[in-house]
Amino acid sequence: MTDVNKLQSDLDYISNTLREDATAGGIPALYFMWGGLIAAGFSLPDFAPQLAGIYWLVAGIGGGLFSWWLGERQSRRQGVKNARMAQRYGLHWGLMGAAFLLCFLPLLLGRVSPEMGGANFLLVTGIGYGLAGVHLERPLLWCGLLMLTAYGVLVLLMPPYTWTITGITVGLSLLWAGLSRRAALRAAGDAA
Amino acid sequence: MKALSALDPLLEHRIRLGACVLLTRHGELTFARLKALLQATDGNLGAQLRKLEERAYLQSRKDFVERKPTTWYQLTPDGRSALNAHMAALRDLIDASGSAQ
Repeated sequence: MTDVNKLQSDLDYISNTLREDATAGGIPALYFMWGGLIAAGFSLPDFAPQLAGIYWLVAGIGGGLFSWWLGERQSRRQGVKNARMAQRYGLHWGLMGAAFLLCFLPLLLGRVSPEMGGANFLLVTGIGYGLAGVHLERPLLWCGLLMLTAYGVLVLLMPPYTWTITGITVGLSLLWAGLSRRAALRAAGDAA
Repeated sequence: MKALSALDPLLEHRIRLGACVLLTRHGELTFARLKALLQATDGNLGAQLRKLEERAYLQSRKDFVERKPTTWYQLTPDGRSALNAHMAALRDLIDASGSAQ
């Protein structure tokens, strides 16, 4: 084999190795967990508003810590420790957490109606998940787009039980993202 | 050719080059993960990683993952700069071969 052919063969081997890396992508259990937490938590203002604050205090912080722990465990099991990627995840979801807190502000100050306040959460969640799909995990892109579509419907039609509809929409889209991610992982496992 | 002499002989081996590229991309990887990604045998990968370690291109540490002893590898600053120089030489070589055609 000539030097040029050997070089080409080596470069093909390296690029195939990088392409075959299946570590990128989310953990289905986290999609299912957050789908359930959000569906239940967003329904509370419609049915038990006195519980919503304490629910999110516990579920938000507890869910965040559990997600971090599960991500760390998964990463160690897969044999990959990517500090730069972990920092990107931390920054992204940290910014989303801050945006969620800011969504409460107009509601607390009475600047928006509870219906519009609920819809704002869906808008922020849709943008956050959509951008996570662009930069972190592809299944979240479609999930984010679905949430943004639901936001448009909510604002145009303003149906009753806005919070519940918001929560169920987010929950279902996360369930869908989790199922598609799990199917992709199984397909990758079967192919290996 | 100047680009040929600028190539790092240690990184001309595909397993060693692949390991360095993967470690640049992911930060830190276990031996098992590298073995799976590079589709190498235990003996071959171990020998190639040892050569990189001897030249201080990468460093390893031992750890336990779910009670199993695990070796993690990461590139050193020397390894990173050597890989960057090698990749630049490869690019020059490709550019030169393109302009020669």
